[in-house]
Amino acid sequence: MIKKSKLLSAVAIATASFMAAPSHADTMNTPDISAMSIMNGLENPWDMAFTKDGDMFVTEKCKGLSVKTSSGSVHALAGMKDSKGYASTFNDLFCSGQAGMMGVALDPNFNKNRRIYVASTSNKYHGSGCKTNEERCDGNIVMRMEVSKDMKSVSNRVDIVKDIQYKPFESNHPFGGPGAHNGNRLRFGPDGYLWATTGDRHRGVVPQSPKLLGGNVLRIDTDGKAHPGNKPPRGFDKRMYTYGHRNVQGIDFRPSDGRAFTAEHGPWQNDEITALVNGGNGGWDPRPNVGGRGDCPDQYCGYMPNQKEGMLPAKRAQFMPMSDTRFSDLMPPAWNNNGLSQGTGSAAFLKGKNWGYWEGRMAVGIMGIGFGGTPSGMRIDVVDIAKDGKSIKSVIHMPTGLTKRFRGLRLGPDNALYAAVDEGEIYKITATAK
Amino acid sequence: MKGLILGIVGLFLLLSEPAFSGDIKAGEARYAQNCGNCHGPGGMGLASYPKIKGKEISYLVDRLNTYRAGTKIGPNSDLMIMMAQPLSDVEIANLAAYLNAQK
Repeated sequence: MIKKSKLLSAVAIATASFMAAPSHADTMNTPDISAMSIMNGLENPWDMAFTKDGDMFVTEKCKGLSVKTSSGSVHALAGMKDSKGYASTFNDLFCSGQAGMMGVALDPNFNKNRRIYVASTSNKYHGSGCKTNEERCDGNIVMRMEVSKDMKSVSNRVDIVKDIQYKPFESNHPFGGPGAHNGNRLRFGPDGYLWATTGDRHRGVVPQSPKLLGGNVLRIDTDGKAHPGNKPPRGFDKRMYTYGHRNVQGIDFRPSDGRAFTAEHGPWQNDEITALVNGGNGGWDPRPNVGGRGDCPDQYCGYMPNQKEGMLPAKRAQFMPMSDTRFSDLMPPAWNNNGLSQGTGSAAFLKGKNWGYWEGRMAVGIMGIGFGGTPSGMRIDVVDIAKDGKSIKSVIHMPTGLTKRFRGLRLGPDNALYAAVDEGEIYKITATAK
Repeated sequence: MKGLILGIVGLFLLLSEPAFSGDIKAGEARYAQNCGNCHGPGGMGLASYPKIKGKEISYLVDRLNTYRAGTKIGPNSDLMIMMAQPLSDVEIANLAAYLNAQK
């Protein structure tokens, strides 16, 4: 009897497995992915923003802001110094190294107020600063402008943030040119407020500074004033939602709960995806003579202990952690890219049934940096983040068929994923659930 | 005697030719291993990494030799020194030929 029962069970399991196999594959609902270039010949396209009708605004780092309308025409709107062919040109806007015109976001009420927000490098507010790398340098700004109804011009520029830190000179570091680490991604949150990311600009004291804007995520209104609910530590600038970051270039909001997540570029180790906590600390502190470190080149320990050659990323992380656990207000990352830094630079949550079981997961753009033995890894990851935001459940590579430097990701109103790549193109990546 | 000198000079030029006239295809393959990650397809320049396509061969060879020797020129020198140190003379010649041919 026992034997017969066991035999029946075995047959039942085998039958169930046989029958379940095809239905299991069906219910996985993995989307088919295809990628198509929709703009080319651009110079370092950095970010995009969409109207509900499908008009796409694009920034090019050293040129300016343009729009490709839903009918396909392209209009050059706001140019930087020396840019040609733009309806308006602003001579204070310039590019240098990693810096230039970067993030762009449309007002949630764009159809009514025509407002657009653009992050850029500017020399307008340098004042008496910026004489050396070791002093305050207000060189990154957030502008608000209004787009004409015919989409051919902008007007009424107002600079709503004028004091984001900028690196004016070369320093003794890898990637050590002026203009390093600006952050400068802009996104509106589900709360209707503008979120602006910033970078440490290769200055050791900046990320943990209570007053200097750099290495933060700012949450502000459309006039640049702090959200009244921001809770930075006492004495900190109230515009800060979080502080202690290195260079946040990716931010988006999880559709299921509206929580902000960042995707951040690590220093030859540990790219990070982090669930933000109001007032939290990213744990990046590249100052010399703290955390067990001594002096560092040009007062910045961000690439130590070895700036000149590859070494085990884990040893780097031990010496100069991206998320230092000595901070009690640390926001631990959900994902650290297996301890590697490969140029994680942008993020967008996938929305819509077309994404199948990937719906609600985070797409992360990785530019690819292959130094010191690290595999380059140009790709888009699809990351399933745990509900509490403290870990991930899985990460897979999106099969786009593309090997590009993915600089900017943005979900369009058609629920397709749009990707700006440093090679000068914008791709539309569509998903079809089976 | 004159003939002997000409012969020696000719032999020297013949032998030294491969070091100064690189193989474009081999250069393309070597470029794809490391360089394209930063400098982009065909040396077009990406992000903060400069455009290097179409530069003079003498300039490219000189820069790579300088980096290989561990000498700094410019803000990304540490990265370039790291990348250039494993290069052979032939690889430098090939890379220069490939990049020079990209217009």
